[in-house]
Amino acid sequence: MSGMQFGIFTVGDVTPDPTTGRTPTEAERIRATVTIAKKAEEVGLDVFATGEHHNPPFVPSSPTTLLGYIAAQTERLILSTSTTLITTNDPVKIAEDFSVLQHLSRGRVDLMLGRGNTGPVYPWFGQDIRMAVPLTVEHYGLLRRLWREQVVEWSGEFRSPLQEFTLAPQPLDGVPPFVWHGSIRTPEVAELAAFYGDGFFANHIFWPSSHTQRMVESYRQRFEHHGHGRADQAIVGLGGQVFMRPNSQDAVEEFRPYFDNAPVYGHGPSLEEFTAQTPLTVGSPQQVIDRTLGFRDYVGDYQRQLFLIDHAGLPVKTVLEQLDLLGEQVVPVLRKEFAVGRPEHVPDAPTHESLVAAARARELSQDEQEQR
Amino acid sequence: MSRLAVVSGGLREPSSTRLLADRLDQAVQHELSRAGAEVTSSVIELRRLGRPIMDAMLTGFPTSELEEAFETVAAADALIAVTPAFNASFSGLFKCFFDVLPEESLADMPVLIAATGGTERHSLVLEHALRPMFSYLHAVVSPTGVYAATEDFGARSASGGLAERIGRAAADFTRLLRSCGTRTRRDAFAEQLAEMEQLLGGTAPERNAR
Repeated sequence: MSGMQFGIFTVGDVTPDPTTGRTPTEAERIRATVTIAKKAEEVGLDVFATGEHHNPPFVPSSPTTLLGYIAAQTERLILSTSTTLITTNDPVKIAEDFSVLQHLSRGRVDLMLGRGNTGPVYPWFGQDIRMAVPLTVEHYGLLRRLWREQVVEWSGEFRSPLQEFTLAPQPLDGVPPFVWHGSIRTPEVAELAAFYGDGFFANHIFWPSSHTQRMVESYRQRFEHHGHGRADQAIVGLGGQVFMRPNSQDAVEEFRPYFDNAPVYGHGPSLEEFTAQTPLTVGSPQQVIDRTLGFRDYVGDYQRQLFLIDHAGLPVKTVLEQLDLLGEQVVPVLRKEFAVGRPEHVPDAPTHESLVAAARARELSQDEQEQR
Repeated sequence: MSRLAVVSGGLREPSSTRLLADRLDQAVQHELSRAGAEVTSSVIELRRLGRPIMDAMLTGFPTSELEEAFETVAAADALIAVTPAFNASFSGLFKCFFDVLPEESLADMPVLIAATGGTERHSLVLEHALRPMFSYLHAVVSPTGVYAATEDFGARSASGGLAERIGRAAADFTRLLRSCGTRTRRDAFAEQLAEMEQLLGGTAPERNAR
């Protein structure tokens, strides 16, 4: 695999199609998600990531169940999340669920952690949104230890203590899944990712590029500050949002009703204003290529690009057509062009294989040091 | 040098709210220059930002022109805020602007509040709507605000008339401004970073395997 990974991420919303008024059932939406993920692999994409939500109109409340089902029907696709709630999920359960998924998928799994900003979800899981930041820090600290230590003795503020706890199953090949930290606008998340030398994923789609630039810059600087490598070796992922047709005017016409009624930005700015202010690109595959290549100008050479393509009530058929365009016309060009001028020392996107290789290399060098 | 930002929530052109804002602006500038300070002022007309303000409400981020207005306010040394009184409160547009203004923009900011209205019966809008909101935003609200009813604009200059009230408010505001000293602008981004750093504590673990 070349330096970068390309894929899609889904929110998992059940939204009426504004052009027909029809709302898919939850069952239809869940099955459509599986179809979309399988198609992503078929057209040559690398990653499928699902959101996690615990309230209607969203369906993905149990991401590892969904990803396990997709894992069984795919061969190469990396399964990920966007995001896994580190605040309201028990870190022990996260460790267990993703360990099992890692074994079932033979290492084709990583995850993106996020805080979650839906207030009522916190009390549903016995937590308090006002404590979101300290919760994140404590839960993630525990999660890391569960994945790295055979026997964990732990006590903290937000969870019952653990005595002589051993995670079962242990991570595949003794190597935990790679962790990304996802954020729309919080600098804390960038700092958390930098502190641990983890990946940082800027959602990017509801926020002008200048803000993404500031967050990524801060993450890169702090990554270097914390001694994980040079700033340009930090692991960066970006979201993006596209709608394509071979003829750009067709794309605009077809997407407009979905845009105008979209739950997150509908009834506000016009499609034209929003595309000018954010990375949303509605047009021809060539326009998507040009815009996406431009991301590198403000975040540097990066590792993962995910697109949001299946929201706001777009029919499955349309989404699958988007995937065809991505796979046939967009991603091959992006792979080639992003490789041009990419410095040698910029790391490739992490995979289970690369993590295992690095872990083995480290063990070897430790053995050598001990023998001396 | 002192930088004044003036926010006017008037909707019509010409607007009595803008008129009051300008008179307060001039009076404060006059007082400050009398005290030997160099003053600049920038006026933000909310009417022109009507759509960007509502879009920011809906999308969660400002357009570049709205961001410019945010920057003008946040970088100022003092703010003069004037709204028409609508339904016993500030106008919705005026409130919306401060609702989308980034947190901490007004922290420690000396603010002179003023309002216009059809009748003087609404004059307490300064005390029950504007003052609490700006206090909540951690601004330092000047004790003397100015309320101008339509009638005030036509009144013969008598004792207690609008001109005198503007002069008194400007003098009080200037005194407040000078005794507040230099304002240090808060940077929420840096503060959140520092907070996280403190929470994480200690030294970062060794580099992850790749």
